[in-house]
Amino acid sequence: MDNLEALIKEHLNKEAQSKTRRHFIKSCSSGLGGLALGSMLMGCESFSKTGSSSNRSFSERDLNPLATIPPPFSPKVKSVIYLHMAGAPSQLEMFDYKPKLLKLHGQDCPQSLLEGRKFAFIKGTPKLMGPQAEFVQEGESGNWVSNFLPHFKNVVDEVAFLKAVHTDQFNHGPAQLFMHTGSARLGRPSIGAWATYGLGSENQNLPGFVVLTSGGKTPDAGKSVWGSGFLPSVYQGVQCRSKGDPVLYIEDPEGISRNLKKSTIDAINKINKEEYAKYGDPEILARINQYEMAYRMQIAVPEVMNINDEPENIRRMYGVEPGKESFANNCLLARKLVEEGVRFVQLFDWGWDSHGVVKSGSIDMGLRNKCTQIDRPITALILDLKQRGLLDETLIVWGGEFGRTPMQENRGNKKMQFKGRDHHGDAFTMWMCGGGIKKGASHGQTDDIGFSGVEGRVSVHDVHATILHLLGFDHEQFTFEFQGRPFRLTDVEGSVIHEILA
Amino acid sequence: MEVLTQLLGRLHPVVVHLPIGFIIAGLLLHWTDRKQQQLGKVIPVLFYWGGLSGALACVSGYFQYLGEGYLYDTIKWHLWMGIATTLFCFLMMYRFKEASFLKPINKIPPTALTVLFFVLISITGHLGGNITHGKNFLTEPLPNSVKNFLGLPTYEKKQIVLHEEDWQDAQLYDEVIQPILTNSCVSCHSDKKMKGELQLHTIEGILKGGESGLVLEASNADESDLFVRMNLPRDHEDHMPPKDKSQPSKAEVELIKQWINVGHPFDQTIGESGLDKDYFLAFFPKKIEVNYPDVQVSQAHPDSIQAIKQFGIHVEPISKVTPYLRVSCINQPNFTDSDFKVLSAISAQTAILDLGGTQVSDSIFGRLGQLPQLTVLALDHTQITGEGIDQLQSLQHLKSINLSHSNFEESHLSALSELKSLQKLYLYQTNVQQNNDGTFQEKGIQVDYGNYEVPFLPTDSIVY
Repeated sequence: MDNLEALIKEHLNKEAQSKTRRHFIKSCSSGLGGLALGSMLMGCESFSKTGSSSNRSFSERDLNPLATIPPPFSPKVKSVIYLHMAGAPSQLEMFDYKPKLLKLHGQDCPQSLLEGRKFAFIKGTPKLMGPQAEFVQEGESGNWVSNFLPHFKNVVDEVAFLKAVHTDQFNHGPAQLFMHTGSARLGRPSIGAWATYGLGSENQNLPGFVVLTSGGKTPDAGKSVWGSGFLPSVYQGVQCRSKGDPVLYIEDPEGISRNLKKSTIDAINKINKEEYAKYGDPEILARINQYEMAYRMQIAVPEVMNINDEPENIRRMYGVEPGKESFANNCLLARKLVEEGVRFVQLFDWGWDSHGVVKSGSIDMGLRNKCTQIDRPITALILDLKQRGLLDETLIVWGGEFGRTPMQENRGNKKMQFKGRDHHGDAFTMWMCGGGIKKGASHGQTDDIGFSGVEGRVSVHDVHATILHLLGFDHEQFTFEFQGRPFRLTDVEGSVIHEILA
Repeated sequence: MEVLTQLLGRLHPVVVHLPIGFIIAGLLLHWTDRKQQQLGKVIPVLFYWGGLSGALACVSGYFQYLGEGYLYDTIKWHLWMGIATTLFCFLMMYRFKEASFLKPINKIPPTALTVLFFVLISITGHLGGNITHGKNFLTEPLPNSVKNFLGLPTYEKKQIVLHEEDWQDAQLYDEVIQPILTNSCVSCHSDKKMKGELQLHTIEGILKGGESGLVLEASNADESDLFVRMNLPRDHEDHMPPKDKSQPSKAEVELIKQWINVGHPFDQTIGESGLDKDYFLAFFPKKIEVNYPDVQVSQAHPDSIQAIKQFGIHVEPISKVTPYLRVSCINQPNFTDSDFKVLSAISAQTAILDLGGTQVSDSIFGRLGQLPQLTVLALDHTQITGEGIDQLQSLQHLKSINLSHSNFEESHLSALSELKSLQKLYLYQTNVQQNNDGTFQEKGIQVDYGNYEVPFLPTDSIVY
């Protein structure tokens, strides 16, 4: 902070002497004539000193792109933890209980549902497949949860379900992009990038947008799902790892001491300051700031990413596996990051694509294992945030990129070895939990077999509008000027889902 | 060539002002000279130039019509009136010259012709203005009373507000359905402007329907155009209101559906219609839960905020709509009791204060008592024991205190139950044993002792 103060002061002192040509022309009231006169008399610089009438000063954002900005409206939450189950979990085995579907198990899917539909793999006439899990109504809310999630059912009153979310994409890559950037095509900023761009980040020693992955693979859509699109790249997600160095190359190389590193950065900064004195370009100050932030992060990031310092009971509660890459570790890290003021934490867990081709991708076995892997950590995350008073100011979002079909997958029009369900974007379940969310709510309903939403359908844009609303934005006003027009996360759609708001 | 014609076309809005100027000048000269009659030779010259420039305006206008894709129907009146004005201009020139071939016209007194000419050029100019600025450009800023007097459509958004205590007594049609229609439909469907021959501002109009027939099918919303067209996807050709107009909310469309389904009653209360309260929830005034008091305060001076920031404390308005501040020591873990004085400049605006993880001790409570608007307080991960916490009792708005991971003692708990507005208290990892004596519960204060566990289940270790 002292450094920033010194920088601002230095800037103000030097500013008058170091007007760029652009500043000069802008503030010189006599315009080009004055320019000509000025150069005739004694050169631009000295003329601008006297010719300058306005004292333009830079905002904090010019110096530090992650400086905080208050949101336009009163926010309900200050941080978001987004849990994305990459591959798309089956709503029919987790939250969307369809007893009718059980009765119809094994029957041919009615043609009316198949006409004009595209599926990723289903061919011909598939058979309906009843839920492969048992369901119970839990808590005061009486919301349905399956026996695949025996821990989560105890916190079901904390969350609000969206039972009829729909998307227009049925392949992983585009659907993930859509879910995280509001567009199935590349090039748009992710939600986390929008949030950090719009609000900045409180902790000056940590990135504002952190991404953690588990399940052995990163999402199909690649890093664009946490990219910054057309926003300045400083707002993109910083991928941290729960195994090995939390950020690649964060440790100083062997033989380089912390002191040497410091003097290196000091030397670079000194040169940058000289450049700044010459040109007065705020970008240079921002760069100086970035170097210093990176230096501070070298200490702060490994500290916050170290789960070994957590007490034993907490580690047990989450079920962490130190030294491994696991969703449980990432959940605990997410809590620690939010506790340290990180704005947006994005978790991706891979392995939910239960087509039934292999055992690990089967509805009754592989999916169940995946559920076991997330059941405890998510339950622990909710409870841990709650007991620390953080759940009031944090939003947890859970979901996949789409849902799965009520029909059993019949890849190549054959009966498959394992039970699987195909991609399905017409209706799937998501839930939200935390500040501003109506506890125990359930919005939307699907038809008897869970194929389409019949009531309270919400789009991906609606989900985005709701997240932005909770952070204090009007999604229609929150724009970024690019290629000659203002862009929004929600494009030209989306409305806030008030039904799940407290 | 195309470039030239297009350029000339775009000059039309400039060029038209030349004939207007000449003509008005000629008319005014005639008016001032009507007694002396000394300027008889000047006036025809003005009309001569008026006519020439008018012809230029006609040509450029025609190019603009060709080049900018206007529909003939949009511009036809302006076009022909423009040509007429130009011709009339030459006519006026010869009239003032008293040319011999205009004998019959020379009998008409020039003043009558000038009045006619003035009317002609006014209409032509107005029609042109309508094309560039839109038909209601001129009348839009008029107050509603004047618009009514002129017979222009008036249209005012109606707020739909229901209240918890008497929502069932509200008239379903008058107080809910009609305002929805007024806000979303009536600007185009009324007696003033009757698109598709449909009027939705009166009961008769709604029942009568429009050019494609009835809009209401009794008790069947899915067959009623009124609902169906609102419910179509926004980019559907038949969607109403048109996609560039403001749209009714989902709740409003849903309510139109429900109203039709119960037989579109016009004289029932909501209670009589039997519709569920859920459909109306969107119209109840929202109690907005915010973390600052409902008390007006002045803005903190930017300089004092800057000074505090330079001390390493995060301080920022909670949002752009309030002067209340959120203050956090997240970047200043070395903050101590004596540092508190740097916050004095913003003591009137501090609503959220996060001192978590700092070096503060029990003597902080006396100082916290000087933040009259304090609403949310975090003292987690500190050494405080709670000695002197009774000094917070003067705080009228304090609704949440986080004491988790501190040395807070059970003996000071009772002082907290005296806090007027307290709603939430976090006591995880303190020296307080979970007790259920009910004092807090009685006062509606949620106490979170934490220590949640996720017990081991046999299923946890099963791998399929």
